[in-house]
Amino acid sequence: MTMLTVEISDIKVSDNPDDCIVTFALGSCIAVMVHDPVRVAGGMIHYMLPLSETAPEKARARPAMFADTGIPLLFQSMYQLGCKKQDLVVRVAGGGALYDDKGLFSIGKRNYTILRKMFWKSSILIATEDVGGAKSRTARLFVGSGRCTVSSQGEEIDL
Amino acid sequence: MITIESVLTCLEKLPALPAAAIRVSELARDERSSAVDFERVIRPDAALTANVLRFANSAYFGLRSKVESVRQAVALLGLKRTSELAAAAALGPIIPSRLPGYEIDASGFWTHCMAVAVLSERLATELRLEHPDLIFTAGLLHDIGKIAIASFVSNCAQEIMSRVHGGLAFVSAERAVLGVDHTEVGSAMAVAWKLPTAVGDVARLHHAPGEAPAGTDRVLIDLVHAADALAHALGLGRDAGELARAVDPGAEERLGIRARFLERVAGKSVDEIRELAQLFAPGRGGSR
Repeated sequence: MTMLTVEISDIKVSDNPDDCIVTFALGSCIAVMVHDPVRVAGGMIHYMLPLSETAPEKARARPAMFADTGIPLLFQSMYQLGCKKQDLVVRVAGGGALYDDKGLFSIGKRNYTILRKMFWKSSILIATEDVGGAKSRTARLFVGSGRCTVSSQGEEIDL
Repeated sequence: MITIESVLTCLEKLPALPAAAIRVSELARDERSSAVDFERVIRPDAALTANVLRFANSAYFGLRSKVESVRQAVALLGLKRTSELAAAAALGPIIPSRLPGYEIDASGFWTHCMAVAVLSERLATELRLEHPDLIFTAGLLHDIGKIAIASFVSNCAQEIMSRVHGGLAFVSAERAVLGVDHTEVGSAMAVAWKLPTAVGDVARLHHAPGEAPAGTDRVLIDLVHAADALAHALGLGRDAGELARAVDPGAEERLGIRARFLERVAGKSVDEIRELAQLFAPGRGGSR
């Protein structure tokens, strides 16, 4: 099995059923994982911030840094592999938070809010998710089976 | 419970910062020092020299021409900046391959150190504050206590994590279980290594900036506190403590930070952090 690592602000897609797409250290960042069981393909983005307007020049160089520029790119990359929107199964992990009473560091919450808004506008449903809390996560998507796991603090769950 | 003395005894067995790096930080504080003094101290240490030059030529330090000697680095970057480079060049190679207890490897720990150094500076710039002295170095070395205390944390990892799951911040869980935490140990290491007082103050107070006594550089401590929180939020150097940390509302207020502002700082800094972190990624760049 080949591991494809998604760095921070990065997207990976694959239609090789032997691939496993993985991302580490999802703090307040969010991983969106999409899988097409018909075409047998999968993709993942690890984005860091909600809106590209906070650093437009970075968004041009690295669109996967932001939800609003990165998520459409993930879906387009899947369509380029021949996937159809209605077949895609979407899962979400990350969006953690510090013990922060005033919420200035609640980047995770804002990352998630923007994601929900975008999916609502595009009529995309989230099949399963593991978001929030003071924990950092590692997410894996197995391209062949579509199985998705999230591990954190020594425990692994199937998403 | 362990004592700070027993941790410090272990410290003697750890690799220390090279004497040249410590001497350089002393020189940087002496107004009479010159580029020649710097070169005299750094040049005999070939590995340190190579690493200083590698840093000086990274995009983050923004030099247009290639630096080929320590003297040239001092001429172009200034004494203070070169001493910060020397601290970074000295820290990379002494990080152990793994910090047990914190569940982090050298590469992750190094990324976090770099992230806090860069984010502290960027916060100061974006807040239009005059950069406090030693901000890069103090950010870089804020967690040095973890190097010494890691094996003690490892022995009590289960007990510490059960307190964290109960809602305690990781640093408080360390103190509750071990009797000392990485901030106290870091501050003692700064004294043992003869690092500048401000670096020791930041190591000691970066989780509790509200407790900074008069005579310490409170702005510096607030900036590193905020940068540390931001680095963890962004997953830059994940460790066992993960996101289990409190943010001091007083520090946010004193600095006048807003949520969007933090996002802008994060967006602008992440590529630079990655570049600097890769300069010494274990097995790839360190030449010591």
